Amino acid sequence: MSVELSQAGQVLTATNLSAGYDGRAIVQGVNVEATPGKVVSIVGPNGSGKSTLLKSLVGVVPVLAGTVAIGSRDITNFAPEKVATLGVGYVPQIDDVFPPLTVKENLEIGGFLLPRHDVAGRIEAVLEFFPRLKEMLTRKAGKLSGGERKMLAMGRVLMLAPSVLVLDEPTANLAPMVATQLLEEYIRGFADHGSTVLLVEQRAKAALRISDWTCVLGGGRVVLEGAPKDLERDPVFVESFLGGAARH
Amino acid sequence: MSSFGFGLMTAAVLAIATVGFTMQFAVTNVLNLAYGSVMINSAFVAYYFNKHGMNAWITLIFGVILGSVVSWAINKFVFTPFQRRNLAPITVVIVALGVDLIGTFGLQAIVGGGYVSFSVSPGREFHILGMFLSGMQLIILAICAVVLILVHWLLKYTRLGKAMRATSANANLARNSGVKTQRVISTTWLISGALCGLAGTIFALNTGVFEATSAQLYIVMLLAAMFLGGPGEPYGAMFGALTIGLATEISAAYISPQYKEVVAFVVLLGMLTFRPYGIFGSEKTN
Amino acid sequence: MSAYAFYLATIIVYGAVDAMACLALNVEFGFSGISNFGFIIFQSVGAYVAAVLSMPAAASSNGGFQEYILGWNLPWPLPWIGAAIAGGLLALPFVFLVGKRLRGDFAAVGLLVSAVLLNVLVKNYVPLFNGDAGISLVPAPFQSIWNPQGLGYQFAYGAVAVVLTVLVYFLLKRVTESPYGRSLRAMRDNDIVADSLGKSLRRQRTSMLVLGGMVAGLSGAILVGFISLWAPGAWGYAETIVLFAAIILGGAGNHKGAILGAILVPLGFEEITRFLPPLSNPMLVPALEWVAIGLLIILFLWFRPDGILPERRRILSGENASVAEASVAPAGADSDALIKLGNIDELDFRQLLRLKDVVNDHHVILSTQGLSKAFHGVNVVSDVSISIQQGRVTGLIGPNGAGKSTTLAMLAGTLASSGGKIFYEGRDITNVPSHERAQMGLVRTFQLASEFKKLTVLENLVSAIPHQSGDSFWGAVRGKRFWGREDHENIERAKEILGGFGLSHYADTYAGSLSGGQRRLVEIMRALLAEPKVLLLDEPMAGVHPNLAHKIGDQLTRLAQGGMTILMVEHELSIMDAFCDPVIVLAEGRVLAEGTMAELRAKEEVVEAYLVG
Repeated sequence: MSVELSQAGQVLTATNLSAGYDGRAIVQGVNVEATPGKVVSIVGPNGSGKSTLLKSLVGVVPVLAGTVAIGSRDITNFAPEKVATLGVGYVPQIDDVFPPLTVKENLEIGGFLLPRHDVAGRIEAVLEFFPRLKEMLTRKAGKLSGGERKMLAMGRVLMLAPSVLVLDEPTANLAPMVATQLLEEYIRGFADHGSTVLLVEQRAKAALRISDWTCVLGGGRVVLEGAPKDLERDPVFVESFLGGAARH
Repeated sequence: MSSFGFGLMTAAVLAIATVGFTMQFAVTNVLNLAYGSVMINSAFVAYYFNKHGMNAWITLIFGVILGSVVSWAINKFVFTPFQRRNLAPITVVIVALGVDLIGTFGLQAIVGGGYVSFSVSPGREFHILGMFLSGMQLIILAICAVVLILVHWLLKYTRLGKAMRATSANANLARNSGVKTQRVISTTWLISGALCGLAGTIFALNTGVFEATSAQLYIVMLLAAMFLGGPGEPYGAMFGALTIGLATEISAAYISPQYKEVVAFVVLLGMLTFRPYGIFGSEKTN
Repeated sequence: MSAYAFYLATIIVYGAVDAMACLALNVEFGFSGISNFGFIIFQSVGAYVAAVLSMPAAASSNGGFQEYILGWNLPWPLPWIGAAIAGGLLALPFVFLVGKRLRGDFAAVGLLVSAVLLNVLVKNYVPLFNGDAGISLVPAPFQSIWNPQGLGYQFAYGAVAVVLTVLVYFLLKRVTESPYGRSLRAMRDNDIVADSLGKSLRRQRTSMLVLGGMVAGLSGAILVGFISLWAPGAWGYAETIVLFAAIILGGAGNHKGAILGAILVPLGFEEITRFLPPLSNPMLVPALEWVAIGLLIILFLWFRPDGILPERRRILSGENASVAEASVAPAGADSDALIKLGNIDELDFRQLLRLKDVVNDHHVILSTQGLSKAFHGVNVVSDVSISIQQGRVTGLIGPNGAGKSTTLAMLAGTLASSGGKIFYEGRDITNVPSHERAQMGLVRTFQLASEFKKLTVLENLVSAIPHQSGDSFWGAVRGKRFWGREDHENIERAKEILGGFGLSHYADTYAGSLSGGQRRLVEIMRALLAEPKVLLLDEPMAGVHPNLAHKIGDQLTRLAQGGMTILMVEHELSIMDAFCDPVIVLAEGRVLAEGTMAELRAKEEVVEAYLVG
């Protein structure tokens, strides 16, 4: 990476975490640790609480029990804008850009916390990384294709040079080629650069390919976790994700 | 052509008012039906200073301040607490109507029911493009033009304006980007409230005589202008206000002045029925 | 002495008029969820029509000092009947506002503005309404044979007003406490879902606006016949807010609450101020009255949003109320325990759902051609052509955002398509509204919570049953003797299914207080009770315990063998493996592949895009 897009990282830990809406826990007693230079992925069926887990880490969903910490700092139930100032960049699965704002304005909002005179230079750096966005700076984000939109969403987060990247199904609905590129070049790249990456991914095999550690979520709990090469051999995992025989 | 002049005046004042109204809807998703009562309260505060000898144009400042502070307070202490409870939008609208009653009739209880008017010189008459406009009217037009340009500059070129638009588009994502949306929303209410106060005061200046309930019909024009341009769209609001302002005054000249709001009414019902997201707007993604 | 007697008579009449108005508005707002901010114009028009029907021709009488239309000089009760009809007819122009799925607050401001404008029109249009002055010297009913100034007459008038109010109360109660009333409350709680179960929103809302308008018109007639005066100033749009305040105070969705509110707010305020000493500023008291009403609305909505007499929970299960109360769901109850309670394996759904035997010929029952949907110019679904065979459980899978739910919503008619066609049983249904599709047997479920919150679980289920004789306005009016037995059978069927799913204990619980998984079950049961020919399920098993999910799957398979067609969007591949054949794969809004799960697993592009990536 030519530019310092992300920073060498901090440890993001969730300890015994329960979270959900209206006092109802969707995620229950989850322990996850994401460390610098590593990609930690979370896989599991829809409704297993993957997105809720990520949202509770960045302050969008209330934590009901347990703690979230960056390094040694407890950030449990910090407001999302506060979490952003601590170097955590979060890309939601949907509603990941501001549709009525132009691409440039989206990036500017991404750099909202930067000193004013740094913003233009930072946008340049992000555009170097995603050259495709260069040609469409004045286009409204709502008019972008799926892949361009995801690049913009990632670009918006990179504006603040995050040390921890929290990504919710970044490849959802992307063409396979684009998805592979996003995962293997960009996302793996951030970790190799020293950043902390926590990734929710629906395509289990693709997630395993780039991960250092993978947690399987089911019914709001971690049902299985391990290094990818171990999981690939785990019969339970293979059966439920890698297209083995049905249970019946 | 004189009706065109009137229309321009109406449109200019309406544009200021509607931009404020639609900004409030954009950031908090509330149809603030108490808007008219804040307008007329602002006008009366300005009138109070004018009555005690202050130049009418200077009293505008007091109207602006009152509108700003009161709007901010209504949002902070009434709308926000109700919205935290996740109620249906209609509940908040009913609350807004309650606030409207308190504002309008609280004012009436204080000032009584009589008509009043600013003491201000209309200035000499100018003949421009076939329209006869008084000096006072020209000043009002100039103020409106300057304010609308300022709003445009704010929204398009300042950090605050972009943060306002981002908050309106997706508040959660704005927060994830480090935008303190609560502060942005508060600021938006201060600014839109200032527009409301300004609109109320120049509305009173432009109308001549007014009393505590004079702005009650204004909500029809506001809603029509907002829905024409698309709810929550400041630029749409300007377009809607221009159209509605001209249309009402021209129809008043050719049909009957008593029914001038009827045009706004027909436009509003038409928009609600066929294009509730404005003529430029489109269905929101779910 | 007699001054007090006259006063008492006046209060009785005013109280009856206000109570009637509040009852009517409550049926619209509290029961049906229609925020009729223009309500006062219905009362006003009724009053005007009653006045001009009872008055002599404008030119011939009174020296022609006032202008109005008609002037038919009709004897009582014809003017009052005319008033009710006029109030009902007035609803029709507003149908277009409330008929579609317009945001509730948007429709409400439309009605509010209508009320404001109509008032302006009336105040200014002299030939029809005599302008600002209004109409005076409206003849009192029976004035030719009975002196209207006499105490006897005044009390008799009050008695008539009260009797009519009581009749209205019983009529409205009959309507709301019926299967039809259940449908109205379902619409109030979630109109899109009610629509998808075959309730015509336009029809239901129109009926209630007409009914409310008729009662409002009648109440106006009673008032104008008593005070013999009709002045537009008295019918300002703010009067509607007073009535809303009354209902919010008294209790929306409760008839007795509406009457209580009427006594407390419009009547109480009017009367209390009579006893205040005169002040130097004559505007002060009325102005402060308005301020007080504004405050009451806000304070009640904050501190007691359900009013003094809240809507009561309907206990259908037959158990007594206290037992039912005790069984309110603990949040997030363990679904494992529930399964043990249930006997889903033993149920005969085909009999419970009254399914007729259908020979499975696997013909194409539902199909699309080039179906597309765009939001903001971006295609979410593009050019999808699929065929669903009768008697099969077809699966629809694909990555998140692939357009599965959008496709399902277009099939059910919840979303309009941007392009392409949909065929059902050979008929082009692309432009058929969703409630008609549901009536044709095309029933969907929703991915997000879609229960009717303030209906009990049992009410949720029974509300979906089609062809109920009590589920129409006239059916409801015919009373419980007409629909009671059938309703009882429906309730028993619903209870049996509820037992099968292990939720018997929650029969009389508000559906809104169930846990997420329980709500999904309620939704599946409700959709089955809608007697679908084609059942469209949007992630029905999300949050449901796997063991129960598989038992439900077994039942769905049996239903399909008996002739039901099922299309199921689901993420859990084990469900697809076990129950779905064929399976259609969507990706990026397009059909990627179709086949059995085994075939799909063999296809590289499917594996690449979805299964394992």
